[in-house]
Amino acid sequence: MSDRETASPSGEPHAFSYAPMPDVGLSVRERLGQYPRVPDITFDALRTVARWTAVGLTKLQFPIEVRGEEPSGDRVALVANHQSHLDSLLVLASLSERRRREIACLAAKDYFFENTSFALASSLFAMAVAFDRTKYTELRRWTRILREQQRGTLLVYPSGSRRRSEAHDAILFVIASSGWSIVPVAIAGSAKAWPVGSRVWRPFRRVRVTFGPPMSVDTTKDLGVSLAAFWSANT
Amino acid sequence: MGIEALPQPLAAYTALAAISVVVFGVFLRITRLTAGWLPYRTWLVMLPVVLVALWLGTWAWALLITLLSIYGFKEFARATGLYRERLFVLAVYLAMIAANVLAYVGRFGLFTVVPMWGVALLTLIPILRNKTEGMLQSFALSVLGVVYFGWFLAHLTYLATWEGGLGLVLYVVLATQLNDVIAFLFGKLLGRRHWTALSPNKTVEGSLGALVFGIVFAFINWQLAFPQLPWWMVLGLGVIVGAGGQIGDLTLANFKRNVGIKDFGNLLPGHGGILDRLNSLTLVAPVAFHFVRFFFGGFP
Repeated sequence: MSDRETASPSGEPHAFSYAPMPDVGLSVRERLGQYPRVPDITFDALRTVARWTAVGLTKLQFPIEVRGEEPSGDRVALVANHQSHLDSLLVLASLSERRRREIACLAAKDYFFENTSFALASSLFAMAVAFDRTKYTELRRWTRILREQQRGTLLVYPSGSRRRSEAHDAILFVIASSGWSIVPVAIAGSAKAWPVGSRVWRPFRRVRVTFGPPMSVDTTKDLGVSLAAFWSANT
Repeated sequence: MGIEALPQPLAAYTALAAISVVVFGVFLRITRLTAGWLPYRTWLVMLPVVLVALWLGTWAWALLITLLSIYGFKEFARATGLYRERLFVLAVYLAMIAANVLAYVGRFGLFTVVPMWGVALLTLIPILRNKTEGMLQSFALSVLGVVYFGWFLAHLTYLATWEGGLGLVLYVVLATQLNDVIAFLFGKLLGRRHWTALSPNKTVEGSLGALVFGIVFAFINWQLAFPQLPWWMVLGLGVIVGAGGQIGDLTLANFKRNVGIKDFGNLLPGHGGILDRLNSLTLVAPVAFHFVRFFFGGFP
């Protein structure tokens, strides 16, 4: 047998080399919150089951009216108003399964990823990923992530809280400058379906999710104003 | 002398575990050994998990061993990068489940051929994927998963299904865990001469101390866990735990050094990953199992 026959098509013999998964050494909580997600058979399977369950239960309990065209494209940021813990589930229930599979919802690390059980619930049922709002370098980190990421769907609440309605310009700037398409989403009725401060939700309330056309971005300030106008017109 | 007559010393071991937890807690408080609190707190979770599974019955123990095998292999696969090859990983998971199910139902013949069927299943994957690059490495690592992390650990399930085998399960599990602690303590207190590149912190004194402790501990447990065994078998079990535990530990240390990591994970605070806790048990369980079985002419 010649040397060529014993080698790979590139001519070099294959040697053993170990390339640990990039999140080896991180805690379960940190792994659940990372974006982009590192493929994990267990988490992926659990997330699929949890997603089907959550979306099924949401659709059963809340008649959702979906308006507008579902977003298209490979790098899409759904930018929504935020009034209730139900918001992410309502948006998920309004999307196609393909979009649901890849969506990641930016969630406050100090709230949703403070302990493992809460992180599991947020990550598996609501597709949450951790956004550390206490670190000033976080926006720079997300700029890098979004620039590198060639495919994905993000759900972002630029108000940062259910108690606030105005969008933070900084996160909008990060998304826009990274070349992601910004699709405004208005959620109406969720504040009554699960009000802030209430421990349980109130089923069978009517809710509406409206997808707007992708926004053209000139300045970040205009973006915030346009978003506010879209939300107020559709809620 | 029938092995069926072995006692079921679970209640005694549970009481001993509870007393040990209290005593060790007091010891840590008195000595103000702050470094010991983190592993101690993890033990407060691990011990009940092990004992509750044994109290619930063989099915719960089999389930626990299956989950530990799968999670342990997952740590290994993530550390080596094999985890990217989902088909290989899933095939290993399947072999692990099969090994434990067959151990649970007591089909010894089928149980012993699980590695063969597991490896046979793995041979299909490069063909199905029609790929050569990296396949030898993935195949080899998966074979290791089927045999070393799957089939070896499944012996613990088989041991528990054997009438009177609970004493051996308890002894093997507790003795290997204690052995690690003793090797560490002896090494810290008396260790002078380092002897292996596989784990440079290991000392001759620590290893000999652990070996002696393994033998002594086997005789201490003799009447409680396996009173029907003759003295020479108790001695043998002591050597298996005392030496085998350290060999298992070094084997996994070697794997870690090859891969370039310190711990396989961080699921168990103060201990590392599941594999860092199971490293000794993985080797001791099958060796102890076949040692006892061989000299008693087979299981019922």
